[in-house]
This record gives sequence, C-alpha cells and structure tokens, in this order.
Amino acid sequence: MDVPLYLRPRVDQPLASLLGAAPFLHSLADALGSPLNVLLPETVAANVERFRAVYRRHHLAGRVYFAHKANRSSSLVRRLAAAEPAAVGVDVASLEELRHALGCGFTGDRVMATGPKDPEFLWLAARVGATVNLDSLRELEQLAGLVREYGLGRVGVLLRLSGFECADHGGAGTRMLSRRSRFGTPVRDVEELLAAVERHADAVELTGLSYHLDTTGLEEKGRALEQCVLLMDKCRARGLAPRAVDIGGGFGVGYIADGEEWQRWTTALSEAVLGGRPPLTWRGHGYGLRNEGGTVRGSVALYPGHRPNAGPGYLDELLSLPAPVLGRGPGTLLLEHLHDLHIEPGRSLVDQCGLSLARVLEVRGTGEDATPYLVRLGMNAGDVSLEEHGVLMDPVLLPRGEPGKDDEGPVGVHLVGNLCLEADLITRRLVFLPRLPRAGDLLAFVNTAGYAMDFHAHHAQRQPLARTVAVEREGGSWRWCPDEDYWPITHPGGTPA
Amino acid sequence: MRYDSITEAIGNTPLVRIDPAVHGLRNIDLYAKLEMLNPFGSVKDRPAWHMARPHLEGAAEGGGTVVELSSGNTAKALALLAGLHGLRFKSVTNRMRVPEIKELLLLLGAEIEELPGRSECLDPTDTDDPLTHFHQALTEPGSTYLHTDQYFNPRNVEAHAEGTGPEIVKDLDGRAPDWFVACVGTAGSSTGVARVLREHDPEVRVLGLVAHKSDFIPGIRTIDEVHQVGLFDPATYDTVESVTSGEAIDGMLTLIRRCGLLTGPTGGAAYQGAVRHLRDADAALEGSGRRESAVFIVCDRAESYLSYVRDRRPELLGRASRGPTLATLTDDEVRAGGRSAAVNEARHWITEGDPRPLVVDLRSPHAYAALHIEGSVNIVDELFEELVRGGLPFSKRTPVLLACPVGERSLRYAALLTRRGHPDVRSLAGGIVAWRDAGAPLVRE
Ligand SMILES: Cc1ncc(COP(=O)(O)O)c(C=O)c1O
Repeated sequence: MDVPLYLRPRVDQPLASLLGAAPFLHSLADALGSPLNVLLPETVAANVERFRAVYRRHHLAGRVYFAHKANRSSSLVRRLAAAEPAAVGVDVASLEELRHALGCGFTGDRVMATGPKDPEFLWLAARVGATVNLDSLRELEQLAGLVREYGLGRVGVLLRLSGFECADHGGAGTRMLSRRSRFGTPVRDVEELLAAVERHADAVELTGLSYHLDTTGLEEKGRALEQCVLLMDKCRARGLAPRAVDIGGGFGVGYIADGEEWQRWTTALSEAVLGGRPPLTWRGHGYGLRNEGGTVRGSVALYPGHRPNAGPGYLDELLSLPAPVLGRGPGTLLLEHLHDLHIEPGRSLVDQCGLSLARVLEVRGTGEDATPYLVRLGMNAGDVSLEEHGVLMDPVLLPRGEPGKDDEGPVGVHLVGNLCLEADLITRRLVFLPRLPRAGDLLAFVNTAGYAMDFHAHHAQRQPLARTVAVEREGGSWRWCPDEDYWPITHPGGTPA
Repeated sequence: MRYDSITEAIGNTPLVRIDPAVHGLRNIDLYAKLEMLNPFGSVKDRPAWHMARPHLEGAAEGGGTVVELSSGNTAKALALLAGLHGLRFKSVTNRMRVPEIKELLLLLGAEIEELPGRSECLDPTDTDDPLTHFHQALTEPGSTYLHTDQYFNPRNVEAHAEGTGPEIVKDLDGRAPDWFVACVGTAGSSTGVARVLREHDPEVRVLGLVAHKSDFIPGIRTIDEVHQVGLFDPATYDTVESVTSGEAIDGMLTLIRRCGLLTGPTGGAAYQGAVRHLRDADAALEGSGRRESAVFIVCDRAESYLSYVRDRRPELLGRASRGPTLATLTDDEVRAGGRSAAVNEARHWITEGDPRPLVVDLRSPHAYAALHIEGSVNIVDELFEELVRGGLPFSKRTPVLLACPVGERSLRYAALLTRRGHPDVRSLAGGIVAWRDAGAPLVRE
C-alpha cells in the first residue's frame, strides 16, 4: 500500500470542538444507542447569517427559505423560526413538513410551499397564508378552486418555471442545454400560465417567479435568473406586480477539506478503472466510470467532494456573474429592477450542522491483501446515506479509551452495516483510517445533516432507528437534549437562554 | 504563392529556433513548430481538414451539419471549412470558457450547444448523461449530422503523421529531434508526430503536457480527462507532466516579449514545460561534447485569450488613468465631497426647484424601461464613467440628481463630479429602492 488515500472531511467550529469532546459523545451513544444523530442548531443560524451577508453585499432584499426536505429535525426548524422573520423563512414540500414548520413556530406568511401538492397541502398552505410556489397550471386551478370554495383570502403565488434552454435568449447561435426536470412549467408555456393567473385574480396574487435547477453550473443558473428578470418585466407590462425572483437551492457544500486529497483519489479511481492499480472500491465498483478498450467512459456519479466555493460563496459568485443578454450581473440585475431575491438552500444551510455516530461492533481480518479488514458498525447504509448521495468522506475515529501502544498506523478498511445483506456497505469505497479501530470505538460521520442523516432510514429490518439530539456548547462543556425537546428560547435542559 | 483555395495554405508551417539566451539551455537547441501560422490560426487546421474533407467534398449538395465536441480551435477550423462548403457547423461543449473564442465562433456562423453542468443533487441511476444523448442523436436514422469525432477519429492522428511530423524531420535536415514536447488535448498532434519521429529514431523522447488537475488551460486536458480520450495511449509518452495556468502565462510572455512569437497559453505551456523538463537533461549533457535538439508545438495565437490573461494576471493588462477617477476616489473623499438628497427633498427639488435638476438614472436601460422616475434620463453607469473620464457631460448651470439602485454608486459619481468642479450634483439617498419604498411614483415605458 502506498500513501493512504484519505478523504478527510472539512470540519469547522463548533463541530470541531464537539469532535474533540469524545467522552461526551461516547456517553451519549452509551445512553441513547447506535446509530445516533447529533445536531448543532446554533450553526444553522450562523449559516443563515453568512447568506445574509451576501445579500447585504449586493444590497438585496428578500428571504432565505430553509428547504426543510434536507433534514427532518425539529431543533433546526425551531432555531430558524426564532431568527429574524423578514429574513428567514421555510420551504416545505409536503403537508407534514408544513405542519411541522407551523408547529415549530413559523407563521404562515414565512412559509413557501413547494413540490408536488395534494389538495390538503394546498388548502392548509392557503389557510395559513403561506406563499404557494406553483408547479403547474393544474395546481393553480386547484388552488383557485379551494380558495373560492372555502372562502379563503387571496393567496400569494410564485410560478415555478423550467425549460429555460428552450427560450432563445441565449444570444445568436448559442443554446444551453439543461438537464430535464419533472418540476415546474416550461418557460414556453408561460403565456398560458399568466393568462390563468389573470383569470383567477380573485383567488391568487402573483408575487414572483421561481426556479430550482439541479446543476452545479453557474452559467445555467445565471441565464435562468436573467430570463426570470425579463419575464418579470412581461408580467409588469400585463399589469401584474410580482416582486421576487426565487432561485431555489443547490448552493452546495464542500465536504472534503483538502482539494489535493480529493484530486488524488479521483485520479486513482480512473487508474483503477483502467486496471492500472488495485481497485479502490468493493468489487471494483467504478462510480459510473467504465473501461472501454483502455479508455475511460461514462461520467463519475459522485458529489464533487471538494468545492472551494460552496454555499454563500457560490451565491456570491452567481450574483456576480456577467450576464450575456442584459449586460449586467445577476445581482445588479435584481437590484436595478427592484426585485427581491428569495433562495431555498437545503444542503448548504445545514452545512456543518451535525454528525452521525456509529459504534464499532466488530473488526475482522479478511485474509486478503488488498482489503484486509472489515469493520462492522451499529448502523446501516440507510442511517447515513452518504453512498446514496455520492458523498465520499472518511469518518472520524473516536477511540473508546487511550490508543494502545501497538496500534498500527493507517489502514484501509471496508465499513459494513448491521444488515445481513451483501449490499449493506456504509460506503463502497475502501476507507482509510489513521489506525485500526477496535470494538467499542465510535466512528463519527460528520456533516451529514443535509440529506445524508436518516434520509433513507426505515423500520423494514427492525434495526433501531437513530435517535437525534441537539447539542449546544456552554463554556468548556456541552449540553444536550432530545431533538424534539429543543426550543431556542431555553438552553437544552430548560434554563432560560 | 498562389492558391485556388485557402485549404491549400494548411500546413508547411515554420520551425523557429528559440534564442539560447532566452531559454538558458546550453546543450540543447530548442525549436518552436509554429502551428499558429496555419490559415485558421491553429494546430487544429490540419486534423479538421483531414477529418472533414471526405465528408465535405461528398456532402456539398446534400446540406447537413458538421458537429464536433469542441470549445475552441477545432470548432473554429471546422466552422470555416463547413462554411466554405455550404454546410452548417454545430459545436457541442461544456467547456466554452473563453468568451472571445465563443464570440468568434458565433461570428463564423457556428451554432453552439452548451452541455448542462453537473447534477447538484446526485442521482446514481441517472441515465440523462448529455453526452449519451448527443451520441444517440448522431446515430438516429436520417440524421444529417457529420460527426468528425476528434477524440476518437484516427484521421486526427494521421493528419499529423502525414504533415506535422515529416515537416519537422525535413526542417531538421532529415533527422528527428531528441525531444518532442506537446500539450495533450485530443492527443492527435502528439500521437501523430511521435509516431513519425520514432520511425526515424526510436530513441526520441516524448514529453506530454497536461493541465494541472485543479487548473484550466484552454485546449489541454487534465490527467483525468486524458483517460477519456480515445486517441490517448500512455505508451506514446515517455513522461506525462502537468503545468499550471501560471506557467502557461509565464511561457506565453517569454515567447511573445522576447522571441516575437505571438503565442496563446497552450504554446506558452509547451515552452515552459519543455524548459522545465529539459533543464536536467541539459545539465547531464554538460561537458559530454554532445548537442541535442528539442521541438515543441505552438498551437495557436494570443489574441483570443485576452480575457483569460485578464482573469489571471490583471496587472498585465492594466490601464493607467489620468486625473481623479471613480477608482481612485477614496471612501473619505466620497464622504467629504458627495452630497445627497433624501427622497422627500429630492421630490421637492424635482417639482419646485429653480432651476429644476436633471435626473440621471444610472441603471441599465432594461431596468430603466421597467420603472423609473418620470422625466429622468438614462445613462448607464459604464457609459457615464466613459463620459466623465473626459470632463463634465453637462453644464455647471444645470443642477443634477443622480440615481442608482441604493444610492452608493451615485454618491461616488456625485463626489467625482463635485471634484471636477460641478457646483450642484446630488445623489438620491437610498436610491430608487428608497424612492419606491417611500411610495414615490415610478413610471414605465
Ligand atoms: C424547489 C427546491 N428548492 C430547494 C431545494 C434544496 O436544494 P439544496 O438542498 O440543494 O440546497 C430543492 C431540492 O431538491 C428543491 O427542489
């Protein structure tokens, strides 16, 4: 084995000092079992502040709506509910998320209802005065019907658009392709949608336009934004008065601390796929790459692990882009047209907000040279769905006691879960740890709060589901309480904050 | 030289010796193969013509479109060749990162399709890979696409094996150089030339240069990306090394300023990578009485990469300015010299002033058209900056109210015009946003 191919996670404060408090984490896992999710509600508020700073830099008004789908926790949503109402809202994509957000203290006027919507969801959203981010013409008509039938007040709506590549605003001869999306109404059908908004003016009021593009590509987002500004103008010309452009989420997270590690690993993956080095993965899985006659084909199905400019930095970059049609960067464009900017960050708003703990149950030698050890954890691939989201990060080893003197140095191990399924690998990658773990140690998967924490966990196999706790630093120590008992107005444990 | 078609001017490019005083190698003669002097401007003219020729000559009356995955020189050559033969050209790429090249392609009449960025929210079962779609579209029955397929087409290599390589040997009096250095994009030029040189002398050492993994050099691939190139065979190269964009620009500057070679960044990268690599070999030759020779390729010219240089070395393209300008005003000067008018005061001034102020809205025309203060004129800030560079654009007897979105930029301009001697320029405090928020009227065109 040459240099260990680490993919060490980015860990900022206060997550870093939480990891430093190994005895505390061990006592939590001893009491509450493995797997265990630990959340830092204060960090979500700090992340909002970073996004707000970008707003301030560009002099923009509008709200940061937390995309609730990223994490089901109460503590995070309650912490956000306690933040500045004019600046922070919540994006809910289901009836249950809406009920949860309201129960956590969000008032209806701070809620944005997105996603596919059943009548119950539409009715409750309209009832509490939420803004409805309309996915289709049918949804608009259904909403208008409910408003009339139940005598509700006029509902603020945004129109969610897609298919921006079809409009020929890209300049002579260029067309930007976009990944197809199941959501939103294609821009080419916007006339019909606006006509319907006018027809239902007694029931709905157009407050803005929106999109959410599943891409890391800044230019695509910049173009969509620019087209929304052009369309806003069209709306105004028709006598409508929309005020906000909602650019969705997808600002990203940088998971890996060191870009070189990420690059070394991905290069090694290509080489392994070509047979130039031993496999880096269980059974030579190529993460989407394949060897066709000595040439690598396919595309890597991995989250771009090292992103030097993610989250608020990415928003800043997007707002600062040059704009091909109107000749102004998106930030200037919004500002000059007096539009508010709404964003719906999910993953990036819960960056550094938590970790998932797993107990090491067994360490077994395989007798094979390439992958000598299997480490079995008190957790399965559903509890921490890193693999599902293509996020590759080494766990942090939290030894139970003092490390032994004869502990060997870096080892490559395969992390397997607690299900008797061949497919239950916590990660398909050979994971390098600074030393071989022992039964009783904990592995901490950090930065899992966005989609990777219990996103796919279920009862099917009758394994314990992770409990979730919220923690807060107090002086030199940590306080905790069950996620469901956290309220931002008191410290965990109940004393006034 | 008299030709019937510009295509006859492809090839036969000069081989120019680099002055040893510049590169500092004492025992190695270094030559530049000036592919930038091809008629369409790059090393890609040869493979583009060689790959497209059979199709173009046959397809002339049938119409159709030539397509290629290219963000630069191949696209440029193919667009011109297609135009010459009455065909259209479409470039499909997600690498169109140099604006001048993109604009040039549009000027040549190319259509550009930009592939979408990577998925943010990963779907491991994604079948929506844009390249797969592209290849499917090409093979659909009845498709009139002519795909030159530069990353896999052996005619790309052949063009260099028949042209570039033999020309180098001929100009070195029938001998192959001891070293051949090339940047790797499609691997066509390095593979084709290496093949011919090795036929002459199996001892030729070939250095392939790729871009540093986290960096970007137009036209070159990174070490991971070359593995996706069908023509790339590691056995072609004795060594593969990476260069950074910084080195590429350093090399470019040396070749331009000291050798009179108007190269782009790839040529710069080849030169810098060559000298870096050859230093050891040069030292080893010291005292042996032997001389060696090395050839590197200058792929294309500098003009298309000004924005690339501006992004990375803005100081190289800096403009010195005269007199106080917006950029040289300090925040203190703005605070001291900039007068502003609150919304109410401004409204009163506009309606009752004697004389009434000229209201200048500094936003873009589109934003201005959407909503503005009645009676205001629109001069976009960029244009305004140009205007005031030369002096005052209005009479000192006309009071002026400047408006921008939040009153920041307009305050800077107010301070600047005051310093230039205008007695009454004010900035709308809080800008058009404050005006709107105060409920003051705005009109649209
Ligand atoms: C409409 C909408 N907004 C926001 C998000 C959140 O995106 P992210 O978590 O990548 O920030 C999503 C994710 O699917 C979405 O569909």
